[in-house]
Amino acid sequence: MLSANEIRKVVQERNQHQKGTGKKVVDVREEMERLEAAGEIVIHRIRPENRPVEVSTLFGWKKRIPTDRLWHHKSCGQCGNIPGYPSSLLWLMNETGRTYLNEPHQTSCTAWNYHGTATSNPVALAAVAARNFHRAFETGHFPLIHCGTSYGDYKEMRKLLVENATVRAKVRDVLGKMGRELVLPEEIVHYSEWVHVMAPEILARQKHRVEGVVATVHEPCHYYKMVPEDAVYDESIYAGQRPAVPSGILMALGAKVADYSTWYDCCGFGFRHILSEREFSRSFANLRKIRPMVEEAHADVAITSDTGCVTTLDKSQWIGKAHGLPYMLPVLSDVQFAALTMGAHPYKIAQVHWHAASAEALMTKMGIDWKTAKAEFREYLQALKNGQAPELLHPAHGEIETFFAINKGQVLPDEAPAAPAGAGGRSR
Amino acid sequence: MNPILVLGAGPAGLSAAAEIAELGAPTILVEREAYLGGNPKRWHYSLLAPDLRPSDEILGPLIAKVEGNPRVQLHRSTTVTKAERLPKGFRITLKTGDALETQEVSAVVLATGFDHFDSRRKFEYGYGRYPDVLDFKELEGMIHDDRVLRPSDGKPPRRIAWILCVGSRDLQVGNPWCCRMGCAVSIKQAVEIRQKHPDIDAYVYYMDIRTYGLWEDLYWKSMQEYGVKFIRGRIGQVTLAEGGSQLLATGEDTILRRPTEVPFDMIVLASGMEPGTGTQEAAALFGVPVGPEGFLTPNLSDMNPVDSGLPGVFLAGAATGPKAIPDSVTEGMGAALRAYQYARN
Amino acid sequence: MTIVAHLPQRALTLTEEESAAPPAMELTGRRRASPEERALSETIFAEFHADPRYHEFVLGCLNCGECTTGCPAARFYDFSPREMLQIAETGDATTLWDALQEKIWACCQCYTCNMRCRFGNDIAGIISVMRELSVSHGVASTRKTLAPFGRSLTLLMTVGTQVSSDMIQPDFFRDWGPFATGSDRAWGVGADIMRRAIPSDVLQTTRSSWEVSVQTSLELFRIYEETGVLDMLRGLDPDLTEMLIDIIEERREEFEEARERFRTELEGMSGPVATFRG
Repeated sequence: MLSANEIRKVVQERNQHQKGTGKKVVDVREEMERLEAAGEIVIHRIRPENRPVEVSTLFGWKKRIPTDRLWHHKSCGQCGNIPGYPSSLLWLMNETGRTYLNEPHQTSCTAWNYHGTATSNPVALAAVAARNFHRAFETGHFPLIHCGTSYGDYKEMRKLLVENATVRAKVRDVLGKMGRELVLPEEIVHYSEWVHVMAPEILARQKHRVEGVVATVHEPCHYYKMVPEDAVYDESIYAGQRPAVPSGILMALGAKVADYSTWYDCCGFGFRHILSEREFSRSFANLRKIRPMVEEAHADVAITSDTGCVTTLDKSQWIGKAHGLPYMLPVLSDVQFAALTMGAHPYKIAQVHWHAASAEALMTKMGIDWKTAKAEFREYLQALKNGQAPELLHPAHGEIETFFAINKGQVLPDEAPAAPAGAGGRSR
Repeated sequence: MNPILVLGAGPAGLSAAAEIAELGAPTILVEREAYLGGNPKRWHYSLLAPDLRPSDEILGPLIAKVEGNPRVQLHRSTTVTKAERLPKGFRITLKTGDALETQEVSAVVLATGFDHFDSRRKFEYGYGRYPDVLDFKELEGMIHDDRVLRPSDGKPPRRIAWILCVGSRDLQVGNPWCCRMGCAVSIKQAVEIRQKHPDIDAYVYYMDIRTYGLWEDLYWKSMQEYGVKFIRGRIGQVTLAEGGSQLLATGEDTILRRPTEVPFDMIVLASGMEPGTGTQEAAALFGVPVGPEGFLTPNLSDMNPVDSGLPGVFLAGAATGPKAIPDSVTEGMGAALRAYQYARN
Repeated sequence: MTIVAHLPQRALTLTEEESAAPPAMELTGRRRASPEERALSETIFAEFHADPRYHEFVLGCLNCGECTTGCPAARFYDFSPREMLQIAETGDATTLWDALQEKIWACCQCYTCNMRCRFGNDIAGIISVMRELSVSHGVASTRKTLAPFGRSLTLLMTVGTQVSSDMIQPDFFRDWGPFATGSDRAWGVGADIMRRAIPSDVLQTTRSSWEVSVQTSLELFRIYEETGVLDMLRGLDPDLTEMLIDIIEERREEFEEARERFRTELEGMSGPVATFRG
């Protein structure tokens, strides 16, 4: 009922945000340019070899999403208990011919711990962010953030580092002690944004039709509620009123994306609650998310784009049976779903067996022969047990990298201006 | 004496033009739209608060005073594209369609008014996506035509909620000011609907009720005589209720201190007032300073609220901030007098 | 004469137990704080208001309730972000102290309140400031609340990831059911093989989320040392903190030994790998 032009006007009007107060939202990227010119920071720029695609954000600002030569900033929760999440993403990159680094030289953002226990502080969080930013920079690969909380935290920390000179000085000092310097990426990019702009290439390789699949989307809070101006919106998706990811890729693939009453609710993860207050997490997930998804929207699958959300929504359902909530709605990330439609192996790649709610009925509906795949996987496990080398998506790392964050002859970004000595100058 | 230019033919501009003519001076009344009456006409306002008189009873006589008045030169569908300062007054260029016309005027009254806030910008209410989420200016038209029906299925609603302060008092959309009208107009709408359709339940969600001065009577009567219900707390989001035929309003009842979720057939948004496009253009044309909110700023808002402080430039109505129709009419009179005094000397 | 006068006049019959019990409605009131608690609450109150973030995060409140609308914690706990902001604005140290005991830990840190707040408050942020203060002052209730986090904190501080697949044991996560750990007995292999079936070498560990190189984890610990995180942890649990330092000392030695072992390969390398000394 709204024309694209009308929506565009409305979205751009939000650009005139918070006028008349000291809390006007400024485009942090413009401030970064000024800081770089003053020699205070180095900007890790998106370069032509990153093959960026432009999208719009909340206020109609432009954001460039790099699609190639990426540095995977993994998620501790995904790798810990939903490994099909990162492996599907790596597989998609292989299939679409994208290059990347998946290294042991990354820490988590530590924000799960901060939001759960507060045993940290913003200066430490900013230093952790900057440490990982610099590691990506020195490899010449652009950081791609897998986790919604890491993405939200890094957006917050980049803003803090730009706006607060005291924190900036402290962080630069800490980095200096490990031979690193203060580098901020031109854009903080969430992997779901990569999936979103890769839609044409994913569609071109789609093997399984999903027209009959009803999906309900859970939008991860830290994707769009933290530093909201960085989240991607598109006029053709929810009339530009809700984020474009991960709904966009589902619509593009042909699934029916259904609305439900608790769309804006969080999943119940709570950072602390998922570990030590699980009565809350599972009550919230079952009563406030899964039940409406099933009973209102008759969903075949819940799709989300963050670690904590997949964990909470998926793992909380098994116990639901004891409370008369016997749903077992499969919960997948957008990237697992996309990989499955492209013919990825459900067990070797999408690793669906790590999910508490079975995806088998869904896969049947998608026309995937999971029974054969399951038998293959069972054989593969036996082969591994008998000492066969595992199948890998990328070459393994050598023993030296167990210890050292070496640079394996990767090209350093050569366009970054050298900062003056004493102001975070290059330590080479 | 060169004529006095009145820019904008809403309540303030109509009042100013009529008074200048009454004083015996010539007037050029310029209106961007093809009709006279401003926002009240544009959106077919029904009864006007606080006296519940039909808007036509107030605007009609004002329009009659300028239409066909030999001292009022009327330009509909016209904008001012250029204004050059003269020793006294301005040389202005009027544009009607493709036709340009230059005139000299001795003084200017800017009565360029406001625009309703575009409720699509408050994303969480789904206005523009959910057909049964209405802006209250649209409901005005429905009440005016006595066709209060759900746009989605054409059925009469059983339960309606009003959400106040949409696009007002809200930094998230950049508008920290109060629109002064939303409370009274929403309550008036609830009363009108309850008068005609006592079977429709009316709920008003509010954080403060600002029916200031004697308008408070409307607020009290709405409860005493019409059973309108008031819940203190804002609705933070509107989604589809289970079954998809109703809307779910979620908020906090701040008196009972707990979250509430209530299904409604229709949800009405009291959209705030923003400086109109015409107001922004007039500020640029005549060099009138604007405040941080974007409204024109009077030189001395307490002593002389209709003076811009620039020679020969006077202000009236919602161009200087949210205002009720009676206040706009009064300011039109004041600006007319001040412009006449300036032009005559 | 009224009808009421004809009604029998007698009190309810109570059992002995009922008579001895306290009245059904008790007067509201606070537990009396000990002098130590009162002193600590005053210290925390002063530090709270002196935190530079206070004036940035707490701006004022219209009490509109839009924050509570989307608050997950408000659905299940006696908690609302609106109330937390009122508490943040209070001039009473005891009110803040009371909130530190339980309420601050109800928050899910989802940031829905922040996104919605029409006054521009950072409610999730100010709750974090309250939490940080309770941690660094080792408030007893906070120590109790965070007691289950010893293992994940150890992993995070010494390795740099929050969880590991061997932490997600069926005995602790029984409510997650038999399939949640990817190593259901039906597959017929152990957890280590299930990890080896993940097609990326850095993910094939059971002891952290991914393999984190020693240099990387030591860099992280350096950050904790330099930014006051270790001091905060000491307030919460001095023993745990000393244990972490011991673990890191060992890893530093291991790192220096490796430097000797890989000397040839490392020669000529530049950047952090050359400069970083544990």
